[in-house]
Amino acid sequence: MRVAQYLFTTLIVLSLNFFLPRMIPGDPLSTLTGDPSADMPILLTDEIRGKLLHYYGLDRPLGEQYILYLRNLARGDLGWSIYYKTPVAALLWKHLRWTLLLMGSTMIIYLSLGSFLGVLSAWHRGSKLDTGLLLGIFGLGSWPSFFTAMLLIIFFSVKLNLFPIGGATSIYTSGNNLTRALDIAHHLILPSLALVIAYLPSIYFLTRNATLSALGENYIRTARAKGLSESLVLWRHTLPNVFLPLITMIAMRLGFLVMGAITVEVVFSYPGMGTLIVEAFAARDYPVLQGAFLLITMAVLCCNLMAEILYNRLDPRVKQQ
Amino acid sequence: MRRSTLSLLLALVVLLLAGCMPALTPTPSPPPQAKPSATSTPQEPLTVTYPGRDWGYPSPFGFYPRGPGYIRMSLIFDTLVWKDEKGFIPWLADSWETSPDGLTWTFTLHPGVLWQDGQPLTAEDVAFTYAYFQKHTTAFKWCASLQDVDTIKAQDQQTVIITLKKPLAGFLADVAGTVPIIPKHIWEKVQDPAKFTSPEAVIGSGPFKLVQYSKEEGRYIYEANPSFFKGKPIIDRLVFVKVQDSALALKTGTVDAATFWGKEIEAVQKLLQEEGLRSVEGPSFWVLQLIFNTSKSPLDQPAFRHAIAQAIDRQKIVEQVTHGGAIVANLGIISPKTEWYNPNLPTYKYDPSKAREALQSLGLVGAKFTLLTTESFAREAELIKADLEKAGLQIEIKTGDRSTVDGLLRKNAFDLAINGHGGIANPSILDNPVWPASCYHNERYNELFAAQAQAVNAEERKKLVWQLQELLAEDLPVLTLYHPKMWCLYNPQVLDSWFYTAGGVDGGIPLPLNKLVFLAR
Repeated sequence: MRVAQYLFTTLIVLSLNFFLPRMIPGDPLSTLTGDPSADMPILLTDEIRGKLLHYYGLDRPLGEQYILYLRNLARGDLGWSIYYKTPVAALLWKHLRWTLLLMGSTMIIYLSLGSFLGVLSAWHRGSKLDTGLLLGIFGLGSWPSFFTAMLLIIFFSVKLNLFPIGGATSIYTSGNNLTRALDIAHHLILPSLALVIAYLPSIYFLTRNATLSALGENYIRTARAKGLSESLVLWRHTLPNVFLPLITMIAMRLGFLVMGAITVEVVFSYPGMGTLIVEAFAARDYPVLQGAFLLITMAVLCCNLMAEILYNRLDPRVKQQ
Repeated sequence: MRRSTLSLLLALVVLLLAGCMPALTPTPSPPPQAKPSATSTPQEPLTVTYPGRDWGYPSPFGFYPRGPGYIRMSLIFDTLVWKDEKGFIPWLADSWETSPDGLTWTFTLHPGVLWQDGQPLTAEDVAFTYAYFQKHTTAFKWCASLQDVDTIKAQDQQTVIITLKKPLAGFLADVAGTVPIIPKHIWEKVQDPAKFTSPEAVIGSGPFKLVQYSKEEGRYIYEANPSFFKGKPIIDRLVFVKVQDSALALKTGTVDAATFWGKEIEAVQKLLQEEGLRSVEGPSFWVLQLIFNTSKSPLDQPAFRHAIAQAIDRQKIVEQVTHGGAIVANLGIISPKTEWYNPNLPTYKYDPSKAREALQSLGLVGAKFTLLTTESFAREAELIKADLEKAGLQIEIKTGDRSTVDGLLRKNAFDLAINGHGGIANPSILDNPVWPASCYHNERYNELFAAQAQAVNAEERKKLVWQLQELLAEDLPVLTLYHPKMWCLYNPQVLDSWFYTAGGVDGGIPLPLNKLVFLAR
């Protein structure tokens, strides 16, 4: 039953991925043949235009293109990018690995830090620590992320000259793996920091609220009345109930792992998925758009599935239903 | 060092992932900054870094067909003739001749030119190249001009004879000076050139060799070709890196030169005051124009278009939007910074009361129109809207992203639209003054255009191009708004030879990245 549901969703999304980009005005050829901001337009005769459309298979009826798309997809072939002139799968992987690195490291930091601070804040509700955290994180979270990113660049890269102003690697790195890793990390710190600052508040507030509401429950009062130690109250009775909303949130957030963070990527010229999707959209590069959206859909569906499974394990009530 | 301690923590995480990153590319050796030895630094490689982004694999079929993509390819591949700041100069061809009827062109190649793999470049390669580009339309950049080439023959090792189906006034500009010559011994085996991306695809005869290309990072590293037939370049390495903010990158020394244009004039002035930078100014060969949908009533009436032209204060747009980073445009589209420019055109002086009278007599006061534009020209659109509403029209601004606007223009689904394009150094651009729309039809215009395209005599062609401009200014299918200026800011200590090419590199690329900049002259 569940499997059928997931399959059905996938099919719908696949079709949307195919038809939506094609419904927007503009076509891949028009962006291929002239960007007014850069140089002269290329004047295409109808004959050559026809040949090009034929070469990319864009002259066939939409239904036929759709079936061809599905058939290729079934064979694991994501197609050939019209704008980037390269296989879509390879292109996606080149960007995906950077996004996984950036979003992965960011996520580990903000999830652990955010939930830790959230529990801390709730546990010491009303104290100076709580108020301080609340105000501080609320303040940080109200900056738009591209603005934080630019401030970080101006301060750490231009004024202090500690970090590069953008990119993912240096132009020259000597061959050995450790120096390369150091170099990649060096480029990763600022964008990662900008994203941690941007994403921290939501997870912090969620954890704080969940913890507070759990702490207000009768079973906590009972636990305390039983004379359990405070750490037992926290670990055994409070936190398990905080996990549930947290997991929903994390599962939703995991989708971002493959989507990238457009604004921060742009400010740091970081070669992630966000930049790719924006560019491919501007170029109306249908195969790349289809591939990228497919990837995101798959990631989100997988995360959903994982969350469901985890829920079953963590919350016996779900299983009984 | 402090930065390494900071990085160490993350490095561990990264090491894991670094394992699954494929070795990006062979790293050029030796790294320039990694030579700390104070005693023996006889030859630190001279590197010039320039900002950019991904413009595709720099093979003749791989680059994205835009100016910066062509530039990246042109560093590796040569053409028969080339341009400097004054005009055409011999390149792969030492000399050339035309028959009196303009139908036959004979090129004599420079002797002893070698491909980067050591093979000799001969007339056979040239003949092969032209035929190959005619056959494979995926290199559509050159298709239109190559259609008029009838035969191409290698008479001997060094002589190429090209015959045309009809005289081509722009043959040097549109064919000989733009089509890159490719090695026959490599490409003759290639069936689908658009998918040929092996390292062999970037073996050319030019001054630079590609040593690294990273698509996702938009990075190109070129090394000087020591056996280049015009001599080894004066720099050892040319690097393009992706940066978000060119001004910031210049300031931090991340790049050694960068270009700015039009509205960026304030950043340019600030940079020039603060840093030890120099600049060269050049024309952009670019025009922003208000396109009228001349296939739609009442926009099909020239009198109405004249009234609109009088209602719009173009000078004010230049001042308020570009802050002086542009000049008011030539109504004949062609850039005033070229030999083709006709300076004697009517200008339709800004006169709101006259415009209003004209609209009244046409009975169009209160008529409603939409004005289509992209977000980049929203301010121009606002000013135009205000001016037109003052004259008595009702304007609704519609904004879309570039491709959307482009798509609507191609379908002629608009009333008024703001759109810009480059290439106005070359009269061929006048083929369709309302590009990318196709709403303008005028028999006399088409005749004039065809006549100038086949004019063998330069003076005669110029006369015809002038008449075309007159006709445009009279009939006004578009109201041109402004031509932006361009600046190249550079650090003179690294390289001091930047210049802007006459009429732009290739057919009008307004960038100072002519390969001659990097050669001893």
